[in-house]
Amino acid sequence: MIAEIEIRLSNQLSEMDRLFEELEAFLDKTEVPPRPRFNLNLAVDEFVSNAINHGYPDGRAGEIAIHAVHRGDRLDVTLSDDSDAFDPLDAPEPDIDASIEDRRIGGLGVHLVRKLADAFSYRHEGGRNVLFLTLKFATPAT
Amino acid sequence: MQIDRSVEKDVVVTSVNGRLDSSSSHKLDEYLAVIPPDSRALLLDFAGLTYISSAGLRVVLKATKLARAGGISLAVCGLSPQVHEVFDVSGFSTLIPIHPDRAAALTALA
Repeated sequence: MIAEIEIRLSNQLSEMDRLFEELEAFLDKTEVPPRPRFNLNLAVDEFVSNAINHGYPDGRAGEIAIHAVHRGDRLDVTLSDDSDAFDPLDAPEPDIDASIEDRRIGGLGVHLVRKLADAFSYRHEGGRNVLFLTLKFATPAT
Repeated sequence: MQIDRSVEKDVVVTSVNGRLDSSSSHKLDEYLAVIPPDSRALLLDFAGLTYISSAGLRVVLKATKLARAGGISLAVCGLSPQVHEVFDVSGFSTLIPIHPDRAAALTALA
Protein backbone atom coordinates (compact mmCIF):
# COMPACT_ATOMS: atom_id res chain seq x y z
CA MET A 1 0.00 0.00 0.00
CA ILE A 2 1.39 3.39 -0.93
CA ALA A 3 0.02 6.17 1.22
CA GLU A 4 1.33 9.66 1.72
CA ILE A 5 0.59 12.88 3.50
CA GLU A 6 1.59 16.47 2.94
CA ILE A 7 1.04 19.07 5.64
CA ARG A 8 1.89 22.74 5.25
CA LEU A 9 1.93 25.14 8.17
CA SER A 10 2.95 28.68 8.90
CA ASN A 11 5.79 29.32 11.33
CA GLN A 12 3.56 29.74 14.39
CA LEU A 13 3.68 27.53 17.48
CA SER A 14 -0.13 27.57 17.50
CA GLU A 15 -0.04 25.53 14.28
CA MET A 16 1.62 22.58 15.97
CA ASP A 17 -1.54 21.07 17.45
CA ARG A 18 -3.12 20.78 14.00
CA LEU A 19 0.12 19.40 12.59
CA PHE A 20 0.24 16.54 15.11
CA GLU A 21 -3.49 15.79 14.80
CA GLU A 22 -3.13 15.32 11.05
CA LEU A 23 0.07 13.32 11.45
CA GLU A 24 -1.49 11.01 14.08
CA ALA A 25 -4.53 10.43 11.88
CA PHE A 26 -2.24 9.40 9.01
CA LEU A 27 -0.20 7.11 11.29
CA ASP A 28 -3.38 5.47 12.66
CA LYS A 29 -4.80 4.93 9.19
CA THR A 30 -1.61 3.47 7.74
CA GLU A 31 -0.79 1.37 10.84
CA VAL A 32 2.86 2.39 11.15
CA PRO A 33 4.63 0.33 13.88
CA PRO A 34 5.54 1.99 17.23
CA ARG A 35 9.23 2.70 16.66
CA PRO A 36 9.03 4.55 13.30
CA ARG A 37 5.84 6.18 14.55
CA PHE A 38 7.63 7.60 17.59
CA ASN A 39 10.66 8.63 15.50
CA LEU A 40 8.49 10.41 12.91
CA ASN A 41 6.80 12.38 15.69
CA LEU A 42 10.22 13.24 17.10
CA ALA A 43 11.74 14.28 13.75
CA VAL A 44 8.76 16.48 12.90
CA ASP A 45 8.65 17.96 16.42
CA GLU A 46 12.37 18.80 16.49
CA PHE A 47 12.46 20.17 12.91
CA VAL A 48 9.35 22.30 13.21
CA SER A 49 10.18 23.60 16.72
CA ASN A 50 13.70 24.58 15.64
CA ALA A 51 12.39 26.32 12.52
CA ILE A 52 9.73 28.27 14.41
CA ASN A 53 11.89 29.17 17.43
CA HIS A 54 15.19 29.90 15.71
CA GLY A 55 14.71 30.05 11.95
CA TYR A 56 13.09 33.43 11.43
CA PRO A 57 14.96 35.93 13.63
CA ASP A 58 13.56 38.84 11.63
CA GLY A 59 10.04 37.75 12.55
CA ARG A 60 8.87 37.22 8.96
CA ALA A 61 6.04 34.89 8.05
CA GLY A 62 7.24 31.55 6.75
CA GLU A 63 6.07 28.18 5.53
CA ILE A 64 7.07 24.76 6.78
CA ALA A 65 6.15 21.56 4.95
CA ILE A 66 6.04 17.93 6.03
CA HIS A 67 5.77 15.18 3.43
CA ALA A 68 5.72 11.51 4.42
CA VAL A 69 5.37 8.49 2.14
CA HIS A 70 4.62 5.00 3.47
CA ARG A 71 6.48 2.54 1.27
CA GLY A 72 5.44 -0.70 2.96
CA ASP A 73 8.64 -1.30 4.91
CA ARG A 74 9.60 2.28 5.71
CA LEU A 75 8.58 5.92 5.77
CA ASP A 76 10.35 8.36 3.45
CA VAL A 77 10.05 11.81 4.97
CA THR A 78 10.84 15.25 3.58
CA LEU A 79 10.87 18.19 5.99
CA SER A 80 11.35 21.64 4.49
CA ASP A 81 11.06 25.29 5.39
CA ASP A 82 11.95 28.75 4.13
CA SER A 83 13.76 29.76 7.33
CA ASP A 84 17.35 31.05 7.40
CA ALA A 85 19.69 28.46 5.90
CA PHE A 86 20.58 25.87 8.48
CA ASP A 87 22.41 22.64 7.71
CA PRO A 88 21.79 20.31 10.63
CA LEU A 89 24.95 18.42 9.72
CA ASP A 90 26.87 21.59 10.65
CA ALA A 91 25.34 21.74 14.11
CA PRO A 92 27.84 20.81 16.85
CA GLU A 93 27.19 17.40 18.35
CA PRO A 94 26.49 17.33 22.07
CA ASP A 95 29.15 15.54 24.08
CA ILE A 96 27.23 12.45 25.07
CA ASP A 97 30.12 11.18 27.16
CA ALA A 98 30.33 14.28 29.36
CA SER A 99 29.62 14.06 33.08
CA ILE A 100 26.40 15.42 34.53
CA GLU A 101 28.10 18.66 35.53
CA ASP A 102 29.60 19.16 32.06
CA ARG A 103 26.59 18.21 29.93
CA ARG A 104 25.21 21.28 28.24
CA ILE A 105 21.47 21.71 28.15
CA GLY A 106 21.24 22.32 24.38
CA GLY A 107 22.05 20.58 21.11
CA LEU A 108 20.08 17.39 21.54
CA GLY A 109 17.25 17.68 19.04
CA VAL A 110 19.26 17.42 15.82
CA HIS A 111 21.50 14.74 17.33
CA LEU A 112 18.51 12.54 18.22
CA VAL A 113 16.96 12.76 14.77
CA ARG A 114 20.28 12.05 13.02
CA LYS A 115 20.91 8.99 15.15
CA LEU A 116 17.38 7.56 15.08
CA ALA A 117 16.84 7.95 11.33
CA ASP A 118 18.10 5.20 9.04
CA ALA A 119 19.07 7.74 6.39
CA PHE A 120 19.43 11.50 6.83
CA SER A 121 20.48 14.09 4.25
CA TYR A 122 20.15 17.82 3.76
CA ARG A 123 19.97 20.12 0.75
CA HIS A 124 19.38 23.83 0.44
CA GLU A 125 17.41 24.47 -2.74
CA GLY A 126 14.92 26.98 -4.04
CA GLY A 127 15.46 29.10 -0.93
CA ARG A 128 14.40 26.23 1.32
CA ASN A 129 16.11 23.98 3.81
CA VAL A 130 15.18 20.43 2.76
CA LEU A 131 15.82 17.47 5.02
CA PHE A 132 15.27 13.89 3.83
CA LEU A 133 14.96 11.01 6.27
CA THR A 134 14.11 7.35 6.08
CA LEU A 135 12.53 5.52 9.01
CA LYS A 136 12.63 1.77 8.52
CA PHE A 137 10.06 -0.57 10.02
CA ALA A 138 12.42 -3.47 10.80
CA THR A 139 13.87 -3.79 14.32
CA PRO A 140 17.46 -2.48 14.38
CA ALA A 141 20.25 -4.96 14.96
CA THR A 142 21.81 -4.39 18.40
CA MET B 1 0.27 15.66 30.12
CA GLN B 2 -0.48 14.79 33.72
CA ILE B 3 1.92 14.92 36.66
CA ASP B 4 1.31 13.18 39.99
CA ARG B 5 3.57 13.31 43.00
CA SER B 6 3.88 11.09 46.03
CA VAL B 7 6.44 10.40 48.71
CA GLU B 8 7.49 6.83 49.51
CA LYS B 9 10.11 6.34 52.24
CA ASP B 10 11.52 9.85 51.73
CA VAL B 11 11.77 9.28 47.98
CA VAL B 12 9.83 11.90 46.06
CA VAL B 13 8.14 10.05 43.19
CA THR B 14 6.97 12.18 40.27
CA SER B 15 4.84 10.28 37.72
CA VAL B 16 4.54 11.74 34.27
CA ASN B 17 1.75 10.56 31.99
CA GLY B 18 1.32 11.53 28.36
CA ARG B 19 3.68 13.47 26.12
CA LEU B 20 6.69 15.45 27.30
CA ASP B 21 7.34 17.91 24.48
CA SER B 22 8.06 21.63 24.06
CA SER B 23 4.55 22.66 25.10
CA SER B 24 4.26 20.43 28.17
CA SER B 25 7.81 20.23 29.48
CA HIS B 26 7.74 23.62 31.23
CA LYS B 27 5.07 22.19 33.57
CA LEU B 28 7.41 19.39 34.67
CA ASP B 29 10.24 21.92 34.90
CA GLU B 30 8.20 23.88 37.47
CA TYR B 31 7.56 20.74 39.52
CA LEU B 32 11.22 19.78 39.56
CA ALA B 33 12.61 23.27 40.12
CA VAL B 34 12.53 22.89 43.88
CA ILE B 35 13.55 19.74 45.75
CA PRO B 36 11.27 19.24 48.78
CA PRO B 37 13.25 19.47 52.03
CA ASP B 38 14.17 16.16 53.73
CA SER B 39 14.01 14.31 50.40
CA ARG B 40 16.44 11.45 50.24
CA ALA B 41 16.07 10.80 46.53
CA LEU B 42 14.00 11.73 43.48
CA LEU B 43 12.34 9.20 41.20
CA LEU B 44 10.78 10.07 37.85
CA ASP B 45 8.25 7.37 37.04
CA PHE B 46 7.83 7.34 33.25
CA ALA B 47 5.59 4.27 33.00
CA GLY B 48 2.83 6.43 31.53
CA LEU B 49 5.12 8.52 29.32
CA THR B 50 4.25 7.95 25.67
CA TYR B 51 6.65 10.43 24.07
CA ILE B 52 9.66 12.57 24.92
CA SER B 53 11.49 15.15 22.80
CA SER B 54 14.73 17.06 23.39
CA ALA B 55 12.69 19.65 25.33
CA GLY B 56 11.72 16.91 27.79
CA LEU B 57 15.28 15.64 28.01
CA ARG B 58 16.46 19.15 28.86
CA VAL B 59 14.08 19.26 31.83
CA VAL B 60 15.30 15.85 33.02
CA LEU B 61 18.94 16.92 32.70
CA LYS B 62 18.28 20.15 34.56
CA ALA B 63 16.62 18.22 37.40
CA THR B 64 19.52 15.77 37.47
CA LYS B 65 22.04 18.61 37.78
CA LEU B 66 19.98 20.20 40.56
CA ALA B 67 19.72 16.92 42.47
CA ARG B 68 23.43 16.30 42.07
CA ALA B 69 24.24 19.79 43.35
CA GLY B 70 22.07 19.06 46.40
CA GLY B 71 23.72 15.69 47.06
CA ILE B 72 20.53 13.79 46.22
CA SER B 73 20.10 10.77 43.92
CA LEU B 74 17.81 10.96 40.91
CA ALA B 75 16.63 7.91 38.98
CA VAL B 76 13.99 7.09 36.38
CA CYS B 77 11.82 4.01 35.92
CA GLY B 78 9.25 2.51 33.58
CA LEU B 79 10.73 3.64 30.27
CA SER B 80 9.01 2.34 27.13
CA PRO B 81 11.35 0.89 24.47
CA GLN B 82 11.21 4.10 22.40
CA VAL B 83 11.84 6.39 25.38
CA HIS B 84 14.68 4.09 26.49
CA GLU B 85 16.24 4.36 23.05
CA VAL B 86 16.09 8.17 23.26
CA PHE B 87 17.89 7.97 26.61
CA ASP B 88 20.53 5.67 25.06
CA VAL B 89 21.13 7.79 21.94
CA SER B 90 21.40 10.99 23.94
CA GLY B 91 23.87 9.45 26.39
CA PHE B 92 21.47 9.90 29.29
CA SER B 93 21.52 6.16 30.08
CA THR B 94 25.05 6.49 31.41
CA LEU B 95 24.20 9.59 33.47
CA ILE B 96 20.91 8.60 35.07
CA PRO B 97 20.09 5.22 36.64
CA ILE B 98 17.21 3.50 34.84
CA HIS B 99 15.03 0.91 36.58
CA PRO B 100 12.36 -1.28 34.99
CA ASP B 101 9.62 -0.26 37.41
CA ARG B 102 8.86 1.73 40.54
CA ALA B 103 9.34 -1.23 42.93
CA ALA B 104 12.79 -1.98 41.56
CA ALA B 105 13.70 1.70 41.68
CA LEU B 106 12.60 2.14 45.30
CA THR B 107 14.57 -0.95 46.30
CA ALA B 108 17.67 0.42 44.58
CA LEU B 109 17.23 3.86 46.16
CA ALA B 110 16.69 2.48 49.68
